[in-house]
Amino acid sequence: MHFDFSALYKALPSLLVGATVTLRITSLSIVLGLGIGIIAGLARVWPNAALRAVAGAYIELVRGTPLLVQIFLVYFGLPALGLNLDPFLAGVIAMGINSGAYVGEIVRGGIESIARGQMEAALSLGMTWHQAMYYVILPQAFVRILPPLGNEFIALLKDSSLVSTIAIAELTRTGQIIITRTFKSFEIWSGVALFYFLMTYLISRVVRFSEERLRYSE
Amino acid sequence: MSEWVVEVRNLNKYFGRHHVLKDINLRVRFGEVVSIIGASGSGKSTLLRCLNGLEPIQSGEIFIDGVCITANGVNLSKVRQSIGMIFQSFNLFPHMTALENITLAPQKVKRMPRVEAERIALELLRKVGLEEKAHAYPAQLSGGQKQRVAIARSLAMNPKVMMFDEPTSALDPETVKDVLDVMKELAREGMTMIVVTHEMGFAREVSDRVVHLDDGRIVEEGPPEEIFYRPKHPRTQEFLSKVINI
Repeated sequence: MHFDFSALYKALPSLLVGATVTLRITSLSIVLGLGIGIIAGLARVWPNAALRAVAGAYIELVRGTPLLVQIFLVYFGLPALGLNLDPFLAGVIAMGINSGAYVGEIVRGGIESIARGQMEAALSLGMTWHQAMYYVILPQAFVRILPPLGNEFIALLKDSSLVSTIAIAELTRTGQIIITRTFKSFEIWSGVALFYFLMTYLISRVVRFSEERLRYSE
Repeated sequence: MSEWVVEVRNLNKYFGRHHVLKDINLRVRFGEVVSIIGASGSGKSTLLRCLNGLEPIQSGEIFIDGVCITANGVNLSKVRQSIGMIFQSFNLFPHMTALENITLAPQKVKRMPRVEAERIALELLRKVGLEEKAHAYPAQLSGGQKQRVAIARSLAMNPKVMMFDEPTSALDPETVKDVLDVMKELAREGMTMIVVTHEMGFAREVSDRVVHLDDGRIVEEGPPEEIFYRPKHPRTQEFLSKVINI
């Protein structure tokens, strides 16, 4: 058994470029997913039943189908409707819509985890439902939502390897390309894994830091 | 302005098939202190929660200072501004200091400037004996202190009536007195109060009227000396013989 890690060393600059593409596509997807997810999560607890139903259907549909299929649908399927997206944009949209469903459930769970007495106390003081939600429930829910949100961001970053299938030269795709030239599978995939790990570790540290900054004792 | 702060007419309330409040009629005058006593599960807390619209009712009418709160399209938030509600479990907002708990509603609901809201909040904290806890978070307060902050929070909205839902039931015995003292002071100042309580001593000493709720029905009501010393209804006699050791 002979490993040639100099191949990995030589591949580092290319992998680094791939990693930045992964970071870019993931962070844009996170922003999109957060936006959609916060709206979906709030809609799930909103007093309006129609809104709750629409958000519920979106979440069920997205969670019930594979991300890979969603990526293909956006990239290969939408052109049939006359909508041609470049791979990067298609990737961000598919991942953002996908993540929005999970974030939506996290937001709903966080809101529902706040004791009912909090809403009742706020309403009893004469606040409207919306004021109670904004000033009393959401600030508390936000602190509880952070850890599961961190998990979702990490999962999304790893799942971004799926957009390698629509020819986006992110980290995984870059690794594949290098291996077709060098045949150093073990070395390169180890390097790819290490890059993923460094990025997910960064996210988990950032989330942990925010948790500590925001924590109040209950 | 109506003579009654609270008027309940033929209220019926069901949880599913369970008939929890049966034909309740109750009127509370301005400045009156009414205690509601009764066994656990008799519907006392539910009645109180109906009075500020936290529980929907199936039939009957509730008027708060002349406004029917059970009519369609009534602005409940507006009505609730004039009803202070104290919960057994305090329900302070844990992410805010005592001061912020008290100033939130006056600022957001009444659009009171912050300086003004804080001045009133500090005054109220002094009144409940907790001025030095203004910047403490609820987690740093004892149960009795939390309940006194909750009372100050309700008073900050300048309510016409204060409702207390077993305010001392979740407290350590040594902190009960501080809360009861604040409530007695309020009663002395002429605040209209409806108190659901297991504190028979308090009910006897402070109330103008005691209402005994048994299995969702008001079986007897009257001045405390009548209810506690000469109860007429057998259910009231039975209940009092269980809770009062003489």
